[in-house]
Amino acid sequence: MAMASRLMWASRAASYLKISTCPRAFSTVIKDLKYADTHEWVKVDGSSATIGITDHAQDHLGDVVYVELPEVGSSVNQGKNFGAVESVKATSDVISPVSGEVVEVNTELNGSPGLVNASPYEDGWILKVKLSNNGEVNSLMDSEQYSKFCEEEDAKH
Amino acid sequence: MSRMATFLRFSSSRVSLISFTLLLDKPPGSSLPLDGLAAALVHIQHRLYQMSLQRTLKAYKFGIVNYLNALKLQERLSGERKAGNIQDTILSLQHPPTYTLGKRRTDHNLLLTESEVQAMGAEVHYTERGGDITFHGPRQAIIYPIISLRAIGFGARKYVEGLESIMIEVASLYGVNAHPGKAGETGVWVGDRKIGAIGVRISSGITSHGLAFNIDPDLNYFKHIVPCGIRDKGVTSLRREAQMQLPEDEVIHDQLIQSFAKTFHFKDMQWSQGGLILPADEIK
Repeated sequence: MAMASRLMWASRAASYLKISTCPRAFSTVIKDLKYADTHEWVKVDGSSATIGITDHAQDHLGDVVYVELPEVGSSVNQGKNFGAVESVKATSDVISPVSGEVVEVNTELNGSPGLVNASPYEDGWILKVKLSNNGEVNSLMDSEQYSKFCEEEDAKH
Repeated sequence: MSRMATFLRFSSSRVSLISFTLLLDKPPGSSLPLDGLAAALVHIQHRLYQMSLQRTLKAYKFGIVNYLNALKLQERLSGERKAGNIQDTILSLQHPPTYTLGKRRTDHNLLLTESEVQAMGAEVHYTERGGDITFHGPRQAIIYPIISLRAIGFGARKYVEGLESIMIEVASLYGVNAHPGKAGETGVWVGDRKIGAIGVRISSGITSHGLAFNIDPDLNYFKHIVPCGIRDKGVTSLRREAQMQLPEDEVIHDQLIQSFAKTFHFKDMQWSQGGLILPADEIK
């Protein structure tokens, strides 16, 4: 356990000094969005939210060829999967960062699934929900926390 | 201090600095006279963490297993792995003649009716894996890793690239020069003939399904599909491409598993005969 706390101390120090251990391409992270540790982002607007996957996620997936969208009117729950994306012959779950009712899905992704890669935070949005619990957003990461999280994940290999 | 950090980043004597910092025993929360070495420490700590993870791969070897039974087994193991009840696991087996489809249900690439398929003694199954239609049959090595990608920080792309490299490595043991496909054509090829296929499912960061490597299956079965949705490209097998005699299939299965363990940095392997984890009535 001493190792774990030293690890935290070291990474806090590293990010305070804004240094990295080795050169690596950083994925884009947008301020003002909230992030889940499963690499989805949420843009909250009152009691509505838009959800998609992050630049880090799309980069690690490869070229997306298919997006399985939920049905409008269905409900999503925080931490539960609501759909999937397919890339490089692999289907990967997409987990909802918040709970709510699906009010709109991005049907553009049916014909152009590559929008998820090209524009993960804008044109590649996946669904819009009416939030059932605004407080849930507080359990998500902000852009700085998420950046650090990505760095730590990428350092695992 | 930031000048020192910059110096460290570009220092060629980083290795000696790293070994120096390993000797430190700084209690957490105390002040940091050595802030400049924090970058090196993060790197070391991650490496030590990786080394301390007891990443053992448990391999189960089967003979011919019905597709649905294998699927049920994978679902069970996947759930157990997600719950942290079991370690990373890999299944090695072969299937009776079976056509399978992926999540996108591209059954327009099956050029037979279901009754025609049944008449030839084959089955058709729809799955949640990625990829298009493919054929599995005896003499084709099937490897299903059930591992946590989150534990090693891998995404789909890196995982699939690893699976491709395993098949390429094993092919090379028999003098066959295989390569990954072009962008959008995941799989392993010899020239423009496909020798290995991949179809994976990643759910909550845990993998299932995997790869199919043609040792010497009956390639005629592939005539009835547009394999992986790619027209105008043939399929082949290790038997067709290798100039040397091949060993027993089991040897090749073992080589695939060992290559997997090496590629995904497992420290240890445990081998089991798979019959133990299939209920008696599921073994064919």
